[in-house]
Amino acid sequence: MRSQREQPLSVDRVRRGALESFLVWNRRVHFYLGLYLLFFTWLFAFTGLLLNHPRWEFAQFWPDRVQSTTEHALEPMTAVADIDRARDVMGQLGMSGEVQWPASQPANGPFTFQVNRPGAIVDVKADLQAGLATVQRTELNGWGVLHVLHTFTGAPATDARNRRDWVLTTVWALSMDAVAAGLIVMVLGSYVMWFRLRARRLAGIVALALGVLSCGAFVGALGWVL
Amino acid sequence: MRRLYLITRDLHLYVGLFLSPFVLVFSVSVFYLVHGLAQRPAPNQTAPSRIVTNLVVPPGLGGMQGRARVDALRPVLEQAGVTGEVDFVRHLPGEHRLIVPVRLPNRDTVVSLDYEQRTATITSRVHSLGDALVYLHKMPGPHNVDLRGNSRLMRWWRVLADVTAYLTLFITVSGIYLWVALRAERRVGLMLVVAGALTFGGLVYALAA
Repeated sequence: MRSQREQPLSVDRVRRGALESFLVWNRRVHFYLGLYLLFFTWLFAFTGLLLNHPRWEFAQFWPDRVQSTTEHALEPMTAVADIDRARDVMGQLGMSGEVQWPASQPANGPFTFQVNRPGAIVDVKADLQAGLATVQRTELNGWGVLHVLHTFTGAPATDARNRRDWVLTTVWALSMDAVAAGLIVMVLGSYVMWFRLRARRLAGIVALALGVLSCGAFVGALGWVL
Repeated sequence: MRRLYLITRDLHLYVGLFLSPFVLVFSVSVFYLVHGLAQRPAPNQTAPSRIVTNLVVPPGLGGMQGRARVDALRPVLEQAGVTGEVDFVRHLPGEHRLIVPVRLPNRDTVVSLDYEQRTATITSRVHSLGDALVYLHKMPGPHNVDLRGNSRLMRWWRVLADVTAYLTLFITVSGIYLWVALRAERRVGLMLVVAGALTFGGLVYALAA
């Protein structure tokens, strides 16, 4: 039978063991996540620079786009809903991507929509009565693909009609969520690792305070002060 | 070699700590952006407004274009007590009026300036923290390049957004160096790099091919 003195000691040992285990795994998770997300992080950091510097000559893509227009015969279709008709047309034309709707369909004009994916924008005008589709395809170069990857969510905030409708857009959007969540976990884990380093605590507080002040000024304070 | 390792480790730590609030801002705003949660509605007609009179308006303002017009508008906006980044300017020549949306991360203001009567009607709308984060995430961005950076706020944020991207690249490279030094973790780490590369490459190929 354990004495009363042994009991709290073993509880303390278990707690210490759990803490040690947490610290080891916290460190591992920090660099495991960093290594797994490496290419995603490079993509979003680098394309963030490209988006903020649209005048960088080397990364121009819109002037170098390649456009082509073709006409295709369409089989008759029975679908009624716009999205089903668009999918039918896309299936017949052998294309896939995120469907973007115009603000409104012309009353007696062709059935119109756009199919987007990183690197290609396809405008489709389908005369469903005559069974004819006019397809204007715009191909972007590698820089264009990188640009679009940064912003390709399929869910514009201000457009209720255009909702994510391509499975790969959903997968990419979830990847963006995962990268963001991973970076948040890495940041929080790094605070724990830093705080354990007593010798670097003060300098770390200075570095963190500089970051918090400069970033916080933009997030909140400037909004009220300026 | 040992000295390089120690310097890299300290730089990774301190640069990372400085960078961490920015990473949190960009990461948290991703959830709003990806799921279309940031609506940021413009100020509407029912929003409270105020009228400012007797403004000193630079001559020829109505005929100006682009950045020159925004720069000329800046003192007018200051007289009206409006600060922030001019988003764009819409000219209604028939009404001698300029419509000027001015943005701060957490506030949108629309200034309707009658440059002949020298009066301005000012309407504001305050936005949530989420909207402010999304605004910062998207700014300065690729649109309206000639106008962007017309406020001190945006000029500074442009610098900090760039610094965030460059320091993130530095943090990843220094992180790789520090990981390589950990012999015991090399195998698992390499497997994760390869797994990440395959996931990334596969997704990009499927999306763009």
